[in-house]
Amino acid sequence: MAHVPSLVFITGGVRSGKSSFAEKLAVYLAAKTGGQLTYLATGVPSDEEMKERILKHKQDRKSGELPWKTIEKSAQIGDAARQIHQQDIVLLDCITTLLNNELFSSKQTWDAAFLQQVEESIITGIKQIKSRAKALILVSNEVLYEPLTGNNLVYTYGSLLGRLHQQMVREADQAYLIEAGIPILMKEVRG
Amino acid sequence: MHFITGGAFNGKRSWVKNNFNIMNSNWLSAYEGHPLPVELDDITADLIVLEGIEIWIKGLTEEHDAAQCRVIWNRCLTHWERWEKTKNHQLILIGTDMTKGIVPIEKENRIWRDVTGWAFQDLAAKADKVDVIWYGINQTIKGGMIV
Repeated sequence: MAHVPSLVFITGGVRSGKSSFAEKLAVYLAAKTGGQLTYLATGVPSDEEMKERILKHKQDRKSGELPWKTIEKSAQIGDAARQIHQQDIVLLDCITTLLNNELFSSKQTWDAAFLQQVEESIITGIKQIKSRAKALILVSNEVLYEPLTGNNLVYTYGSLLGRLHQQMVREADQAYLIEAGIPILMKEVRG
Repeated sequence: MHFITGGAFNGKRSWVKNNFNIMNSNWLSAYEGHPLPVELDDITADLIVLEGIEIWIKGLTEEHDAAQCRVIWNRCLTHWERWEKTKNHQLILIGTDMTKGIVPIEKENRIWRDVTGWAFQDLAAKADKVDVIWYGINQTIKGGMIV
C-alpha cells in the first residue's frame, strides 16, 4: 500500500483554503486506509458568531461521503488520546484556537513557567494522539509576517506559536503551505 | 552576500547556525542593541553575520525620510559588497519579513514597513544567494544550483 503520513502540518493565511485542503486530505487518507474520520474540535462556542461557524463546519462534515466522528476538546488535548483508535484519521483545526484556549482560559499570568507548560501540553498532546492514530493532520495560521514588536502580548504569543510550528514541522512527515488554495509541499519524509 | 529572510520566529538564526561554521565569525545583532555597522573594515573575522536588519531600518526611519533611508541603506550595501570581495570574506544578513500583515495604524510603522520592504528588495538584488526560512526549512529563491 502507498505511504500514509503519520503527522501532517498544514498552514496558510486567512481564507487560503487550508481547512478545505486538510479535510480533503483526511477524507482521501480515510478512504485509502478504511480508517475512521475524526474531527478534534477545539472551538469554544463563546458567542453567536462562533456558534454559527461551528454549526456550519458540522453541517459541511455531515454532507460528505464518509461520516465524521467529533471529539470536543478545547484544551489539554492529550486527554483525548484514549478516545482515538489505531485506524483513525484525526484532524485538528486549528492550532491557534487551541493555543488561545490554553493561554486565555485560565487567569494565569504569562510567566516563563506557564508558557513552558502550555508549550509542553500542546506538543505532548500531539505526540500522544499521533502515536494512537493512523494519521494526525494539524492546521494552523500564518500570522508571523507583520511587526510583532511594540506589544509584549503579541510578541510573546508570536514567539510561542513560532516555536510550536517549528517543532511540528520537525515532527511532521509532510508539511504544506497553502497559497490561494494551492498546496505547496514544503517537506516530505517517506518512512 | 547571502540574505536570509522569513517570518518572525521561523528559525532563521538556528538555520544559519546549523549551516555555517560560525565558530570564528562575528555575529552582530540589532536585537542585542548593536548599532548598524556601516563599515566592516575594522572587523577581523572572515565571516560576519548581521542579524535584525529590520530593526536597523527602523532606526534609520526615526532619523530620516524614506528616500534618505534608502540612500543610506544602499551606501551600506556598497560598503559591504566591497568588504566581501576582499580576501575570503563572507557576509550573511538576516532580516524578518514583516510585510504581510494588515496596514499598521501608526504612520511611523507604515513608513518603517515600506522602507523595510524596499531595503529587502535592494539587498536581494545585490545578494548572491537568498534563502527563505519557513519553520526551519529553507527555500533558496536566488542563487541556487541549477540542475
